[in-house]
Amino acid sequence: MKTVFVNPERCIGCKQCEMACAVEHSQSKSLQQAVLETPTPRKRIHVAPGLYLNSSFPNKCRHCDPAPCRAVCPTGAIWRDGGQGTIVFDGNKCIACAMCAMVCPFDVIVFHPAPALLRERAVALKCDHCPDRVAAGRLPACVEACKVGALEFGEINELVKSAGRRLAVAISVAVGEQPEAAPLPANVQAWRDLGKSISQTGRE
Amino acid sequence: MTMQDRAAKRSLDPATQQMLRLAAERGYETTWERLEAQQPQCGYGELGVCCRHCTMGPCRIDPFGDSGPQKGVCGATADTIVARGLLRMIAAGAAAHSDHGRDIAHTLLLTAQGKGGGYEIKDEAKLHALAAEYGIATEGRTKEDIALDLARAAYAEFGNQEGPILFTRRAPAKRVALWQTLGIEPRGVDREIVESMHRTHIGVDNDPVNLILHGLRTSIADGWGGSMIATELSDVLFGTPRPVQSQANLGVLKDDQVNIILHGHEPTLSEMIVAAAQDAEMLALAQQQGAAGINVAGMCCTGNEILMRHGIPVAGNFLQQELALITGAVEAMIVDVQCVFPALPELAACFHTKIISTSPKAKFPGATHIEFHEERAYEIAKGIVREAVLNYANRKAALVNIPRDKTECMVGFSVEAIVAALGGTLDPLLGAVKSGAIRGIAGVVGCNNPKVRHDYGHITLVKELIKNDVLVVNTGCNAIACAKAGLLQPEAAELAGAGLQGVCRALGIPPVLHMGSCVDISRILVACAAIANALGVDISDLPVAGAAPEWMSEKAVSIGAYVVSSGIYTVLGVAPPVLGGPAVTQLLTAGAEGVVGAMFAVEPDPEKAAALILQHIQKKRAALGLG
Repeated sequence: MKTVFVNPERCIGCKQCEMACAVEHSQSKSLQQAVLETPTPRKRIHVAPGLYLNSSFPNKCRHCDPAPCRAVCPTGAIWRDGGQGTIVFDGNKCIACAMCAMVCPFDVIVFHPAPALLRERAVALKCDHCPDRVAAGRLPACVEACKVGALEFGEINELVKSAGRRLAVAISVAVGEQPEAAPLPANVQAWRDLGKSISQTGRE
Repeated sequence: MTMQDRAAKRSLDPATQQMLRLAAERGYETTWERLEAQQPQCGYGELGVCCRHCTMGPCRIDPFGDSGPQKGVCGATADTIVARGLLRMIAAGAAAHSDHGRDIAHTLLLTAQGKGGGYEIKDEAKLHALAAEYGIATEGRTKEDIALDLARAAYAEFGNQEGPILFTRRAPAKRVALWQTLGIEPRGVDREIVESMHRTHIGVDNDPVNLILHGLRTSIADGWGGSMIATELSDVLFGTPRPVQSQANLGVLKDDQVNIILHGHEPTLSEMIVAAAQDAEMLALAQQQGAAGINVAGMCCTGNEILMRHGIPVAGNFLQQELALITGAVEAMIVDVQCVFPALPELAACFHTKIISTSPKAKFPGATHIEFHEERAYEIAKGIVREAVLNYANRKAALVNIPRDKTECMVGFSVEAIVAALGGTLDPLLGAVKSGAIRGIAGVVGCNNPKVRHDYGHITLVKELIKNDVLVVNTGCNAIACAKAGLLQPEAAELAGAGLQGVCRALGIPPVLHMGSCVDISRILVACAAIANALGVDISDLPVAGAAPEWMSEKAVSIGAYVVSSGIYTVLGVAPPVLGGPAVTQLLTAGAEGVVGAMFAVEPDPEKAAALILQHIQKKRAALGLG
């Protein structure tokens, strides 16, 4: 199964994934035109600030299986696409009851007007794994926009394996071993530390 | 989190906390909400690795170095992009200070020509001293004649092509020689700023070190040029500050008077408003409107200018500009240039308050614009004051909430005033430094920044320094923070270590000396040069340091650069956007020491920042054999 994997320690909060996502889900798929469209194209990935300054996390639909949103949808507007295993919403069946949003473990379902609806209204929106792009062998828009490796697209087991190595390095540091390489470049680590220090200083 | 907790986490200042709680209750938006809405902020921008200088871009460099691009479309590396960005920040800061200086020179010129609409030359002694420095004849000439030559000479510094800028010669000879050797002696104020823009254009200067060196040159043209011109000519026109007693914080606003807040930077405007607010016609109009008088209060650096020259109370520093409006008791906030939030008119619309913009350079959508021209200064100032007075009747009593907090302060320590307080010579100060009663001197300056707990960085650092017998001199928003916290009173000597306390008590001065507005950091440079010259050493040999615990503006970047260029170790509370460039970071925080004899450090925790400064001062004392 292919998914968008998040390496939170690498997210620098630039929100370029959000912009690329909104553009990909616009009618024109061009930034310059998208900003003028009605309805306004909406992002389906949400970069939220972390506990301290200079930290953040890009949050999006994890395409759970079983998916709580799908289980509670009273109109059958939510189903799983057989090919990609992606959880897909049908705006025309959505009655905006927000049951899906209430049970979503990740709070990533939002309600906005969308293009190509039979009647203009707000409906549930969330990540659809950019089906057109993926079908054409391209990366999802958010992953393509991410230049720091915070978002990766690939086979889940492959990504988990490399992430697991990262954890192993962290654990060997925790038990006193010197890692071969620092987990973060010194300047990025300094930036993170300064953010934490500014957030905490004088406010304990 | 309760409103109480949240307000306390945002600011140390009780008046600010009270207004923040009120803002939360009533839903007024402030800069703190906007900062929260901006989270997370873009890491490329934070690290300085975003470049928008041409339309092949925008480009950004992956700071992790192993995933995304390591070069811009033109091939610029992270260090090139960071250095270009920093140079542009310095240029913008130097431009702001220097354009302020140019405006003061312009006012002096008009005044000398008899075209200044109400200005006069108030400090003839300073006029003569500056004339002597410029080689302008004074024998048998009127002050206007001398001022005309001085104004033209100062004007010429901006367009000077080949240098030197005369005031750079106030630096110790060793320092000037070092600047010359490094090729960073500025040639003219405008020239260095223009060259900064040229060098940072696509495909010009791509060497990080060469770019930073030009940044130092541009900043010297600010500190020892534009800013110093602003300070010196302001003294000629409006008087050299002498110690005066006043009050600080939002509690200076009055329930029963027309409250006018002067916010911004240039004293040309604020001086005239202060005068117009004392005009009998205006006072009568105020009476007629049911007000007991006209109460003028300052904010930010223009507040410092009128605070130190007239004892006009100061309502607050940078982060209090919106909170002053939230008191509901301000008839008009009159603004000119720099550090004025574009958010003000929208917030003011919740009240009867008028935001009156005055500078042709700075207009604010939603504000009333009454353009200020020096030729008709007093007349225009009266018109502005009239607007404020007539607005008193519109004040809504139900919306008025003036905090009680206000603190006494003693301000106005120009170099001349410090020398006078010492009995006409620097010797007592030098003696105290040599004996160790005063370990060293720290200039603590700079803005507020909502990322930092308001005033906490300033107050904690200053208290820690004086406790350790470091005399603090300050300007700008730090000076206002210290005024509010009671550190600018002679009684604050009790917070100082035994040595500094003794000196303060003997002279009747506070342990923290208010030297003025942000352009008046030039006064600190002059003081350092005088001390270095008296000891026969360079500024970099002195047990002195600089700090900007809560800085945010491009002006502060230029200040930091000229302070370090002058040989003064400087500790910043917030990192400039350079960390994405490892070589630039290394140069600024280490390598610069070997080049200009000083470097930067970044330390958000003011107690640790104080420790760094004390350690530095001890190192310099030891090198001078002072122990």
